[in-house]
Amino acid sequence: MKIGRLVYIFMPAAILSAFLLAPKAEILGDSSRVIYFHVPLAMVSVISFVYAGIISLVYLLRGGALLPEKARNSAGIGIVCTALTALTGSLWAKMAWGSYWNWDPRETSIIILLLIYTAYLSLYASLENNTNRGKICSAYLILTMAVMPFFVFVIPRVYHSLHPDTIINSEGVIKIETSMRAVLLISAAAFVLLYIYLMDIKNRLLNIEKVKHE
Amino acid sequence: MAEILRNLKKDIRVEFRNPSALGTAISFACIITLAVSIVSAGIPFPPMIQAILLWIILFFSAMNALLHIFTREEEEHTALFLRLKISAESIYISKLIFNAAFFFFIEAVVCPVFIFFAGSSVKNPLLFVSTVIGGGLAIVSASTILSAMAAKAGGKGTLFTVISFPLLLPALLVSISTTAVSIESQDFIEYNNVFFLFAFSAAIIAISLLLFKYIWIEE
Repeated sequence: MKIGRLVYIFMPAAILSAFLLAPKAEILGDSSRVIYFHVPLAMVSVISFVYAGIISLVYLLRGGALLPEKARNSAGIGIVCTALTALTGSLWAKMAWGSYWNWDPRETSIIILLLIYTAYLSLYASLENNTNRGKICSAYLILTMAVMPFFVFVIPRVYHSLHPDTIINSEGVIKIETSMRAVLLISAAAFVLLYIYLMDIKNRLLNIEKVKHE
Repeated sequence: MAEILRNLKKDIRVEFRNPSALGTAISFACIITLAVSIVSAGIPFPPMIQAILLWIILFFSAMNALLHIFTREEEEHTALFLRLKISAESIYISKLIFNAAFFFFIEAVVCPVFIFFAGSSVKNPLLFVSTVIGGGLAIVSASTILSAMAAKAGGKGTLFTVISFPLLLPALLVSISTTAVSIESQDFIEYNNVFFLFAFSAAIIAISLLLFKYIWIEE
């Protein structure tokens, strides 16, 4: 997919603009530059999960060759992005709030997502010799997707958030300076393109393996 | 309906022919409860810690007890006959009812033992009981379909725990906070949380009913 190759333009632009173009945040200083990596990684984590879930649903309803493997590929990228989101977030939390982990609702959500990915990939690996592997793993992903809304309503009731509502808020408006917003959007585009590019490579490898087996 | 009852009767008969699973599950739950109580050495825990410990015990008891219902069918090679004779939906419902009865029995043993040894005094017994039933139903509703998945993967207990935990987390969080309230006060506001637990269970059961045939029927 040629669109994925745009990552070669967007990713260097995102890295350079994060360090050179974006201004420091008022209180957080240079540590605020983590936002240009942390937020897009979190976005890709969720996109990977939703995409894997949608593919699984399509597979159960209509069938289709290699769809479970594609869902697994998406989950594979998703688990790396989720782990990096947790890592960048905890480093930033240490600088901003004084400790690596605070059980903030967003931190809890990302850990739950990491657990779901781990569970899904463990199940996928355990069913290696089962002819029904695709359907069982797809059913698991759909079940976890169905539980997600409960997390959205439950976790904010249990934990108080330390995250500022600059990016995700009820008004749906990004409340940061224009130049910072521009860099954030470039970075988000770069990471989404990276996801598309990696998925393309993994899916092409999948097709090659299929042809090789045939 | 007749299929559900027939399968349920069969499961109960098989269970009582060799009640080792029930005995092991009850013993496991009691051992964890006693281990926690011995470690505390009679020092009363705050209500929130008591609630956390109770639900950890119940969660691991469920992980230990609820897997065998499908594993047994796979190990004894009776799954194929069930697939041929009874519809997937009927099998799911009968296994769900069996698991619910099995787990409520475990809860009925564990909760009094925990309250006795932990020295808890439950201030709002009605809220406590409804939370234990609601939370138990949530655990059973998710565990039933997940035990079918784990059985297909060779009936690995660790895998069952790994795939169950993320799904059960919302129900566990609500059950813990509501149980803590029921131990320390007579607050009636928390009944919303009990409704949440039943709504969660209903949603999981509805989705499981739709998905079960994809897990159960092999290509």
